[in-house]
Amino acid sequence: MNPETMLETILREARDKIREAALSAPRRIEIRAPREHLPELLAWLKQALGLAHLGTISGVDLGESFEVLYHLSNADGTVTVRVQAPRSEPRIPSVCSVIPGAILYERELQDMFGLVVENIPDPRPLLLADDWPAGEYPLRKDWTFVRPAEVIPGGE
Amino acid sequence: MEFKVQLGPQHPALHEPISIRMTLDGEVIRDADLRLGYNHRGVEKLAESRSFIQNLYLTERICGICSFSHQTCYTQGVEKLMELVPARRGLYIRTLVCELERVHSHLLWLGVAGQEAGFESFFMYTWRDREVVMDILDWISGNRVHYSMNTFGGVRRDIDEMQRKKILDTLDLLKQRTDYYLNLAASEPTFVGRLAGVGKLSRQQAIDLCAVGPTLRASGVPMDVRKDDPYAVYDEIPFEVSTADSCDVLGRAVVRVKELIQSYRIIEFLLKNLPEGPFKVKAPRKVKPNEVYSRYEAPRGENVHYIKSNGSDKPERLKVRAPTLANYPATIAMLKNGFIADIPLIFAAIDPCICCAERLVQLDDGRGRGRVLRFSELRAMANERAKKIDYTKREIAWPF
Repeated sequence: MNPETMLETILREARDKIREAALSAPRRIEIRAPREHLPELLAWLKQALGLAHLGTISGVDLGESFEVLYHLSNADGTVTVRVQAPRSEPRIPSVCSVIPGAILYERELQDMFGLVVENIPDPRPLLLADDWPAGEYPLRKDWTFVRPAEVIPGGE
Repeated sequence: MEFKVQLGPQHPALHEPISIRMTLDGEVIRDADLRLGYNHRGVEKLAESRSFIQNLYLTERICGICSFSHQTCYTQGVEKLMELVPARRGLYIRTLVCELERVHSHLLWLGVAGQEAGFESFFMYTWRDREVVMDILDWISGNRVHYSMNTFGGVRRDIDEMQRKKILDTLDLLKQRTDYYLNLAASEPTFVGRLAGVGKLSRQQAIDLCAVGPTLRASGVPMDVRKDDPYAVYDEIPFEVSTADSCDVLGRAVVRVKELIQSYRIIEFLLKNLPEGPFKVKAPRKVKPNEVYSRYEAPRGENVHYIKSNGSDKPERLKVRAPTLANYPATIAMLKNGFIADIPLIFAAIDPCICCAERLVQLDDGRGRGRVLRFSELRAMANERAKKIDYTKREIAWPF
């Protein structure tokens, strides 16, 4: 199946789960979808088009909202599913029930953007230190690194 | 009785510490849990405050072994954002360095596998021959580890006729040596028996857990970015995707040896068909707003960079997913119901950028008494177990 046929199938059979879909580059398809239907959409893509390999989940801080991109690949191309969550209500559903390999990427999203992944099987922090202050999310655009004052062990 | 075992996280000599906490029932691992982030360097945040050119050298330093993978993945992504068509000769040289890096990485891995399986002379042999590839890379780029070969629009250095001849001559030596390893490994039943049946990962598990690279291909899934989503000049090069069906560490070794042979063919093809012309074209400094999802087949598997530009000379967002991270969920599945003595072998088989299990604390769960095992003791346990291989496994032949 080439990317054009894949796009046609998506537009024909998954109309109710997506907002829009288009070819963005050779072998790349972009889908915009509402976050509510995300697990069903991914389950359908996996079953109907064989898009079982999740490359990664990228989060982007757009200011007013967060954009979350799910990069799914098969042997013919890559489909990027794009959902948005407003900053006031940063919640997205977990896709681990469909793609078990997504767990580390979802935990990373929670750490770095403060997005709440609902129904995640394992919500512990992944990358940040155990004593990382609560409510600080390093990859948000308004977060800047402030170097802590140097303390010499054992006094002067 | 159940034990909790902590593996890692620190080792001064290696650059990627990780901690694994395991629940053991006797010698069998019942559950495993990973703790990452001991050396999180914040590269993604840092990249947002550096220009596209500066990020070339930042992405290169993500990894010490597959440095060229990250740099190329980033470079070809930015070239797409710039709508730049790189020079053909530059692309050939870039692909050449990609494959040389794959050869040095797989030779390194073969040595590590030999060492973890208690075949230490194999380790000495492959690492000696890895030096040959490192020398080639040194001739081409001037560096052994961070080659700094890529630039937007091509590469930074050309190859002259003398270098081309010299590499082709040296390649013959490497081919001979690889044939020798094949015979050596195939005729050594303890080595094959030690690898067979260890670290099982079924085809379905590998797909569900989104494993990549040789780990996935050894479970019978022929996914290779070079074929599925060709970048650079891979659509012009004849080569085969290497797979194995045994779903264990032996399969992962077979896939890597097959890939070595394919890589020699690719290198030969590239050098014999090197086009004339310029090796780089001029690139703009600013990039208009756009985004790109760049994929690359690193020696360890699919490497992914997502780059978003905002019209300035700095990226808005750079997301990096290294192949080892994608293989962690699969590693947990491989460890479960395996033996504690197989940990070094299973971990080495995903070819992680970490091998830092120098220290291992074995804690008695009930009474709180502890005992520290050195990695050498763990390896001695592994070798002890290798001697007790049942004789049915000795019949297993090297699948070539």
